[in-house]
Amino acid sequence: MTFFRPFLKRLGGMAITLVAMSILIFLLVELMPGDAAQRVLGQSATPQAVAALRESMGLNDPVWVRYGRWASGMLRGDLGTSLYMRGVPIASIFWRKVGNSLVLAMLALLFYVPLSIVFGVLAGVKAGKLTDSIISFFGLATMALPEFVSGIILMTVFAVKLAWFPITSVIPIGESVWNNLDILILPALSITFVMFGYVSRMQRSSMISVMNSDYIRSAVLKGMPMRKVIFRHALKNALLPTITIIGMNMGWLFGGLIVVETLFGFPGLGSLTMSAVKTQDTPLIEVCALFITAVFVVSTAITDLLYGFLNPRIRYPGGS
Amino acid sequence: MTSKPLLDIHNLNVVYETPSGSIVAIRDLSLELRANEAMGIIGESGCGKSTLSYAILDYLPPNARRSGSIMFNGDDLLLKTEKEMQNYRGDRIAMVYQNPYSALNPSLTIGEQLDEVTRVHRGFPRTQAREESIKALKDLSLGEAEGIVRRYPHQVSGGIQQRICIAMALLCQPDIMILDEPTTALDVTTEASILDIIGELKERHRMSLIYISHDIGVVNKISDRIAVMYRGEVVELGPQEELFDHPRHPYTRALINCMPRAGVKKETTRLNTIPGYVTRRSADERGCPFASRCEKRNAVCEEIYGLREIESGHLAACDRAYADDVSEKKAAIPLVPKAKSPAGAGATGGWSGTKDSSAAADAGGFGTVGPDTATTPLIRLEKVYKYYRNRKRTVRALDGIDAKIEKHDVLGVVGESGCGKSTMGHLVAGLLAPTKGNIYFEGKDISATWQRRSGDTIRDIQLVFQNPGRSLNPSFSVEQILDRPIKKMLKIRSRRERRAMVIDLLKKVDLGEEYLSRPSTRLSGGEKQRIAVARAFVTSPRLIVCDEPTSALDVSVQASVLNLLGELQEQSHTSYLFISHDLNVVNYISDHILVMYLGRVCEYGLRDEVVNPPYHPYTEALLSSAPDVNPSHKQKPIRLEGAPPDPSARIVGCPFAGRCHKKIDDLCDTTPPPLKRLSETHYIFCHLSEDHLKGSAHL
Repeated sequence: MTFFRPFLKRLGGMAITLVAMSILIFLLVELMPGDAAQRVLGQSATPQAVAALRESMGLNDPVWVRYGRWASGMLRGDLGTSLYMRGVPIASIFWRKVGNSLVLAMLALLFYVPLSIVFGVLAGVKAGKLTDSIISFFGLATMALPEFVSGIILMTVFAVKLAWFPITSVIPIGESVWNNLDILILPALSITFVMFGYVSRMQRSSMISVMNSDYIRSAVLKGMPMRKVIFRHALKNALLPTITIIGMNMGWLFGGLIVVETLFGFPGLGSLTMSAVKTQDTPLIEVCALFITAVFVVSTAITDLLYGFLNPRIRYPGGS
Repeated sequence: MTSKPLLDIHNLNVVYETPSGSIVAIRDLSLELRANEAMGIIGESGCGKSTLSYAILDYLPPNARRSGSIMFNGDDLLLKTEKEMQNYRGDRIAMVYQNPYSALNPSLTIGEQLDEVTRVHRGFPRTQAREESIKALKDLSLGEAEGIVRRYPHQVSGGIQQRICIAMALLCQPDIMILDEPTTALDVTTEASILDIIGELKERHRMSLIYISHDIGVVNKISDRIAVMYRGEVVELGPQEELFDHPRHPYTRALINCMPRAGVKKETTRLNTIPGYVTRRSADERGCPFASRCEKRNAVCEEIYGLREIESGHLAACDRAYADDVSEKKAAIPLVPKAKSPAGAGATGGWSGTKDSSAAADAGGFGTVGPDTATTPLIRLEKVYKYYRNRKRTVRALDGIDAKIEKHDVLGVVGESGCGKSTMGHLVAGLLAPTKGNIYFEGKDISATWQRRSGDTIRDIQLVFQNPGRSLNPSFSVEQILDRPIKKMLKIRSRRERRAMVIDLLKKVDLGEEYLSRPSTRLSGGEKQRIAVARAFVTSPRLIVCDEPTSALDVSVQASVLNLLGELQEQSHTSYLFISHDLNVVNYISDHILVMYLGRVCEYGLRDEVVNPPYHPYTEALLSSAPDVNPSHKQKPIRLEGAPPDPSARIVGCPFAGRCHKKIDDLCDTTPPPLKRLSETHYIFCHLSEDHLKGSAHL
């Protein structure tokens, strides 16, 4: 019981965050100017028709009743129906797009996490030397390039000039993302461009501070070869802050790829959110926003747990 | 000088190349370490002691340049490549550091960190390496070695961590062990047992030691020869006893005289101080490095300089200064006699008038004196408890203590870490509120945190903390630091008036007006602590809680801060609650001493009553653990094994029973010790009779 208590506490906290966020999201979207019924029927609809639709959509109920209806639907897994796509259940398109985004996010992770850790460690160990300067310059340069610039550069080089990859990342109708993995490479690379500088700089600075610590001095002065000092003594400690950074960016990687997905025409959560906003499709906006929030909350919790697991000072609380 | 030296450092120079020029860290240093010899190295911080050890092991920052030679077994270590040095480090030359907690890797188990030494240097397979590690731990009398290897460093106490570091250094049976302040972060009792172990291991393994410390008492205990370093040079070198009995270099003398020691009291003596501080050294500097701070300097100091033999084996860089009193024996170290007030009269007036009614003392402990008594103490703690509770356990930081602080008096509180001395300070200062019990300030109940105390009480009780670097706001100037409490607590509006007060306060702590605009980050450690003291005196408080105010400072700076505290206390109507782990310091500054163990009082009395027999067995053990500057004070040592018991355990009998060398079986474990009144002012909680308490430590 005492063992699970922290987990229960954590779960409770997550639930509260989600409820609070769902209220906020619902209120913001509902308070957006414009009338849903009017939007569905178009500008030429008669006021009577609009009023009738309002009544049948339940828009005349008080806000808290509408929230209750919406929230209980979410809990039951009923995501509602799209306004723009005239009655299409959101669930039928939403989960497929989430799946696509998941595949892209995983591939991007696979690219940038090892890359930025390896180069971050290298820069940290060689701090102040030429290697460090080159890596740091490259990291800063890629970080400073917005995704749409780096994306276009990648497209020009690899899709137009070299023609190694397709220029857009559209999945043909009736096929899944798995038969079209080549379309993922360029978007994933462009995400790597954004994240590399960020994560590798973090890794570099944590490596530098660890390399200056007393226990690394102990390791060197007990005659450990450099390889052991870095991989056995330094890395385990220097990875901890990096893991936090990566975990905290999971939410962004999952739902915040609006620019990248739109640029490449990739059918993921980002471009879905984008089109929902453009078409003022309120139920869809709410679902997307709530889902991205949930990803943030869950990935932060997982990061914390992982951090605790990797750090013996948290795993085995003190006491002499 | 007959045997060939094991380590022969010849004309070693270490220079740091910086953009603003070269800084000399080690200058023309020559030193020989013989087989099975313990060489002590002393000096203030910044004198190059640690740089020397890192220079031997080639662990210096990239901008450091070494020249000269370091011959070890016929090889010059300066010519070795990084790869070759790996075979020396940890194998032939091992090192132990000041802070064992940070010297161990937090993410690896203790076993993993030990095993790799023999795996790398000896190529041992996993199981054999583990066996060796366990054996090494057992060698250091760590009984439960099999369990320890599986734990992480943060799961064991500081004393055990340092033993682990020593075991790690011993795994390959090195020829030389370098110890850099290995006991500075530890309790006196732990320090004493670690020093014993080091001395014993040195003989058993026929090792040589280089023992670096700022604590002359500790170096004295362990060393055969001692080298005194100042600004990168050895200024004096000689056999331990010779060097202490007849120090020749003014710096050696000054250092020795800085240390408070047995028999030196604030009433009669002021501690010696060394004016100025250790400055950086540029490459073109000539002459005696100490000249600018030396009271005996003259014109020749600029020219004639160099280490030379004065007597067989005793070298000094300067022997003119004290050439005349070489013939004097032992007491060749004059302390500065105090100019003001005849001995004992002014400063200690407080306690002579104190009378406790014995009825009250018998009824509820010695602190219990009714508030209506004519001589109400300034502060009285009555059955004060402070518990820290969490889900798992209750830590009894203070377990029903009675104590009092007299008016115009210094109460020194000693005990090992975790005994509750800081908690007591925090309760009195109102940083914490007691769980149970009462604290009275001149009879008025103040058992609450400062938020619920009156402005007058807050003004009357002030604080000085251990680390002035962290207790002063780094973005404030000296004037801002002192001006704020004047404005907030004394409610003085006029800027001119406030500035005059700030200048006055600075004068009080011997600092000039030029400090007004100085940012607190640009002050030295001693200056910072002076500002912290000045800040505490802003409101002319009746009591200042000093929590380890000098333990973060160098000995020379400690001396000047102790002098300052002593003088200010004498001039004002202030009392101190002086908390320290250093018995010598407490002995110097206190009028009364309170000895605490595991949240309870062991002994209370006038200073001389406490530090002389009869005393509580715990006091006796503490006294015998404290390193004495005077090496001729040979005592029969009493060593406390292990650490104090878990403060969350409920103890029925005497809390000290488990570690007591005079324990009466059964009785001490089951019955709380009774209060024994040995005099009007002297109380001991112990089952032993007065004769038994007289002890044998000083015989």
